[in-house]
Amino acid sequence: MGHLHFLTWPEIILHVIAFRLWPVWLSLAIVMGLSYRYKKRLGLYGQLYDTGIGVVGIFILGFWFFCAVFSHYVSPFNPLGQIAVMRNALPGAIEPQSGHAYLFGGDRLARDVFSRMIDGSRIVLLIAPLATLVALTVGVTLGLPAGYFGRKTDSVLSFLANLVLAFPVILLFYLLVSPEIVQTGLPRITAGVFFAFPVILGALAFWTRYSGRPVLLAIQLAIVLIITYWLYSTFVFYTDPLHLIEVTPSTLNIFVAVVFASSPGVFRIVRGLVMDIKTRDYVAAAQTRGENPWYIMIWEVLPNARGPLIVDACLRIGYTTILLGTLGFFGLGMPPESPDWGTSIKDGSELLRIYIHPALPPAIALMSFVLGLNLLADALREQSLKD
Amino acid sequence: MNEAVKTTNAEAGAQPILEIENLSISFFTRAGEIPAVMDFSCTVMPGEAMGIVGESGCGKSTVSLGVMRDLSNVGKIVGGRIKFQGRDMGEMSEQELRSVRGNKIAMIYQEPMASLNPAMKVGKQLMEVPLLHEKVSRAEAYNRSVEMLRAVRLPDPERMMRSYPHQLSGGQQQRIVIAMALLSNPALLLLDEPTTALDVTVEAGIVELVKDLGKRFGTSMIFVSHNLGLILETCDRITVMYSGEAVETGTVKDVFDRMRHPYTQGLFRSIPLPGADKNSRPLVAIPGQLPLPHERPRGCNFGPRCHHFVKGLCDADEIPMIPVKGHEAHFSRCVRFNEIDWTALPEGATKATEPVKPGAPVLKVDDLRKYYRVAANEVFGGGEDRVVKANETISFEARESETVAIVGESGCGKSTLAKVLLGLETASAGSVKLANTPIESTPVEERDVKTVSSIQMVFQNPFDTLNPSHTVGAQIERTLEKFHVGNSPADRHKKMLELLDLVKLPRPFASRKPRQLSGGQKQRIGVARAFAGNAKVVVADEPVSALDVSVQAAVTELLMDIQRENKTTMLFISHDLSVVRYIADRVIVMYLGYIVEQGTTDQIFAPPYHPYTEALLSAIPIADTSVVKKHIVLEGDIPSAMNPPTGCPFQTRCNYKHLVPDDLCETQVPPHRDLGDGHRSLCWLTDDVLAAMEPVISFDRKHAEEEGEPEDVPYHAERTSAAGDPGFAGPPPERPHGKLSSAEADEAEFEAEEAEEAMRARREEHRDDVGGQQAGRRESRRNAAVPITSDRVGSGRQAVDPGAPSAFDERRAPSRRARAAVGAARSAPPADRDRPPPMRRPKQPDDLKLISGVGPRIEAALNDLGIYRFEQIAAWKKAERQWVDARLKFGGRMERHDWVTQAKALAKGGEAEYFRVFGRKPR
Repeated sequence: MGHLHFLTWPEIILHVIAFRLWPVWLSLAIVMGLSYRYKKRLGLYGQLYDTGIGVVGIFILGFWFFCAVFSHYVSPFNPLGQIAVMRNALPGAIEPQSGHAYLFGGDRLARDVFSRMIDGSRIVLLIAPLATLVALTVGVTLGLPAGYFGRKTDSVLSFLANLVLAFPVILLFYLLVSPEIVQTGLPRITAGVFFAFPVILGALAFWTRYSGRPVLLAIQLAIVLIITYWLYSTFVFYTDPLHLIEVTPSTLNIFVAVVFASSPGVFRIVRGLVMDIKTRDYVAAAQTRGENPWYIMIWEVLPNARGPLIVDACLRIGYTTILLGTLGFFGLGMPPESPDWGTSIKDGSELLRIYIHPALPPAIALMSFVLGLNLLADALREQSLKD
Repeated sequence: MNEAVKTTNAEAGAQPILEIENLSISFFTRAGEIPAVMDFSCTVMPGEAMGIVGESGCGKSTVSLGVMRDLSNVGKIVGGRIKFQGRDMGEMSEQELRSVRGNKIAMIYQEPMASLNPAMKVGKQLMEVPLLHEKVSRAEAYNRSVEMLRAVRLPDPERMMRSYPHQLSGGQQQRIVIAMALLSNPALLLLDEPTTALDVTVEAGIVELVKDLGKRFGTSMIFVSHNLGLILETCDRITVMYSGEAVETGTVKDVFDRMRHPYTQGLFRSIPLPGADKNSRPLVAIPGQLPLPHERPRGCNFGPRCHHFVKGLCDADEIPMIPVKGHEAHFSRCVRFNEIDWTALPEGATKATEPVKPGAPVLKVDDLRKYYRVAANEVFGGGEDRVVKANETISFEARESETVAIVGESGCGKSTLAKVLLGLETASAGSVKLANTPIESTPVEERDVKTVSSIQMVFQNPFDTLNPSHTVGAQIERTLEKFHVGNSPADRHKKMLELLDLVKLPRPFASRKPRQLSGGQKQRIGVARAFAGNAKVVVADEPVSALDVSVQAAVTELLMDIQRENKTTMLFISHDLSVVRYIADRVIVMYLGYIVEQGTTDQIFAPPYHPYTEALLSAIPIADTSVVKKHIVLEGDIPSAMNPPTGCPFQTRCNYKHLVPDDLCETQVPPHRDLGDGHRSLCWLTDDVLAAMEPVISFDRKHAEEEGEPEDVPYHAERTSAAGDPGFAGPPPERPHGKLSSAEADEAEFEAEEAEEAMRARREEHRDDVGGQQAGRRESRRNAAVPITSDRVGSGRQAVDPGAPSAFDERRAPSRRARAAVGAARSAPPADRDRPPPMRRPKQPDDLKLISGVGPRIEAALNDLGIYRFEQIAAWKKAERQWVDARLKFGGRMERHDWVTQAKALAKGGEAEYFRVFGRKPR
């Protein structure tokens, strides 16, 4: 390895911050600057800028978001590309052919750690929020009636939720990725069931509110149908008509597993919130004017449960991220080449006693992203309490 | 430690316990410094009770927290001093403060459950106090705690010591909190709305206890409350606060009867005191609303809402507390109090409306029952189901444009009744008919749009009644859409704006979110929503009880105006009998699911009462110094509906139970007895016991006479010399509006000609007032029945009202036998030697009602005295007349109507002679 040239530590820092990450800084500056300028008009999001914690949270999340968006410009190398000479190269080693540096060094398969870290954010930022969103709709759609109607509905649904929560999660993941199960098509069927919930929720919301205005209702239901079509064709049938996202069977497995594991939690929170909110007078007022129960649940109760739900969603994205890392670490789901943070940590850990640098950047990335989410959740909670 | 406290007290002598000088407290928040209390001064002497009264957000609680130096981390004392027993608390170290708090100064908060640790037994929490502050032995601490529990009149103190707080009722919890506060033998007790969370009858018990303990232990008290009536009952002096400032302070008597600040007067005018009447003497609301703490105006904070505001004078500079000359320790923060005519009503406040004529019955409820089944186990069933009887045998009727009040404390089933009517629950048995359509078993989802829109509800809590996530306009439009009002969104938008006009809110409010509205405004939106579909019946569930006093009046009036216009039937649910008396045509009193009494407002508020109604009436604090209430405090708490008593629902707390033979009360539910004219009562009591009941609320004539001419008021001559001095209080104020007059304005059978006579008497009186300040002095000459004030005077207690419901009247004395049965203490009757000779009941007694001024009740009272013939009355001498007048508390009507002359004529030649003498027929 003696023939490699190295950048000094200050040079590495300069390269990372100035030459590679500048699009991220620029976008962050624009977004946060504008937000700060107009924070008074931005509601809850604007209020986050009043607290230090909120600003730090937004900064960290914004950083990773723009890293994911600009990953092609930020990462100097193909995250899967192996340049043999760079095997286990130390940070700052300059790749002789392109003249670019492996800023955080190379891993045991001679891939650029920095590029893998940046590209890994794409996977995390795609799966974690989306899976959380779907888990949220599943939890909401089931939690609303459980809390609102109570009695038998509640008993049955709560029992199911407890059942899922009681099932060992890791075992569930092993089952989901084992080829025999995949061949039965169970993950796809489950995904199909999960995606039905946002559709049901959307359709119910528009139908209960606008049934008196058929034209408007027709337009809205059409939009719901189009989104449904896209969701199913992309996730269940792996053919995105718009070619925006490429979903592989392994991604879907992860997706299903994560939704399955976290929706009972959302269900419980929603159920509790609904039980509290349904005792309010405005719910009684809606009842006394003869509203459909689903109208009351979706339009009267749900908007007032949004505060705790948003906070919970933030934290839940964090858990999901950690879960993704854990899955990657166990080698479940993602293909072994995948640059996601969990897999990268696993790869790096194998030589941990000799080289620490391949494992450290993805670990720090994972930690900082979850920390950002937690800080944001804290700030949101604090601000929503003040209001 | 206790000894030490006592000696300091004794040495200090007249030294005040607490001196607050120019206290200012601010909160520092995101929006900057928000002054919560400004320039607040007060002094509390040993054994004295100081009341602090004001609306929400006026800073009254902040003052009490400031005294404890227990402001949260954002609050800070920015000026002034608090001296406790002569020592400046600002100079005390943190350790010294700790030894003062909870030891020498104790505080009692609003929510008893929040003040007690739910994880610790009551005994342990109580014993902590002496253990911590006085380091006594455990046995000693235990004994003291038990002793104190006995002092706060809790039954079975040993058992209480072993209980957890959640095992006790709200009233018992508050008693424990009081015991805990008193255990350290504090020199000063701070009570922050100690009874607001409790039911009225329970509140009465706590108030009595606090008063009694204050006397017994000689503790000084600061009593913070929004309820003027409570302050009157408990305090010696009062400070009225408005928007962070004390606006008026003085003795309770001065502030209540001779207020010298427009805000205080406004407060009194906006609460329904005895004498207010929705048709002839409506409440006068204070216009506008409380300024936000950071948007206070310059000068007088009350300026923008004041009728007496003068530009350049009131807003020139900050106004100090100005002493009112001639009144002892009476201060007002008003520069113009000497120029204001304290008797004049504000513009437009004198409107009177025709009483509405109730039409055909709209709502008929017959033998309605609602039982809930509480299953033992929800998931797997099994166990034994328990039945909660929320409503039992409810029967009543409500007619078009009538207001029917449903009165009762928590757990009486009034809300369940409302739910059944609105279809949120279905009845277990019985029938409910809305305009002849049975609706008792149709839940609201199955009702057609017409039925749904014709019975609507106004909810209690303004902060809950509107969905915080939608704009006000959208919520009203949604209601219109559901009720099929308007054909297009544009149509509905227009109609929505009209509804905003109807409830007197500006149209731009349509795009606001509920949190941008004040409580009163939100409640107006609630009213607009209820009336959106032209409702036939509106159920109003305590629509104003959560609002501030000054806003309450405005919302009440609005509700009644719309009701009057739309000829809506209103079911007004409330626990506050003062409001009910003011607003209702008929009243239904409920207790534990039963209707215990129902009848017209007059019938309910006059004896005979149901024992529960009587207790309820007695429990309401009334902010009127001349009102004398019969003191009835109920034992214990309301039983749980899960475990109701056998027999009569009220038997566990009834004071009359011993008068019913054979344990009937405990074994059988009493029948609904008809007491005449649809007045029905659920009680076993016999007629003679009922007949012997006295009015709960009456007027203390002696007090009123004193009020007519207060001794401490300077005489007329001095007035000229001091005219320019704003500190001079001016002439003795007119007695606020005829508290007496309702003693005279009387029973239901009061007649037009009587009214005419009364008017004449009042006109005379008015001249007296105008002519000189001697009116009050001449009062002794005049019979006290005539109102001392002119009838144009109004302090809000506008009682010159012949139709004023008669609970507040003085009434015939009960027969002796009945009195003995009741065993109630009464004032000694006048000397019996002047008593006119009675006679036995003749076969054909004369019809005494022919005498103008005698109605059936008075006739019965006279008969009780053994007076049956015109000859008897004709023979009365002056002494006898006075005796009868005093005995029957006629308040001089006998003289005015000249019964003797009338009786003479009737005795001589019957109706013909009467016609000859008086030129008209007897009635």
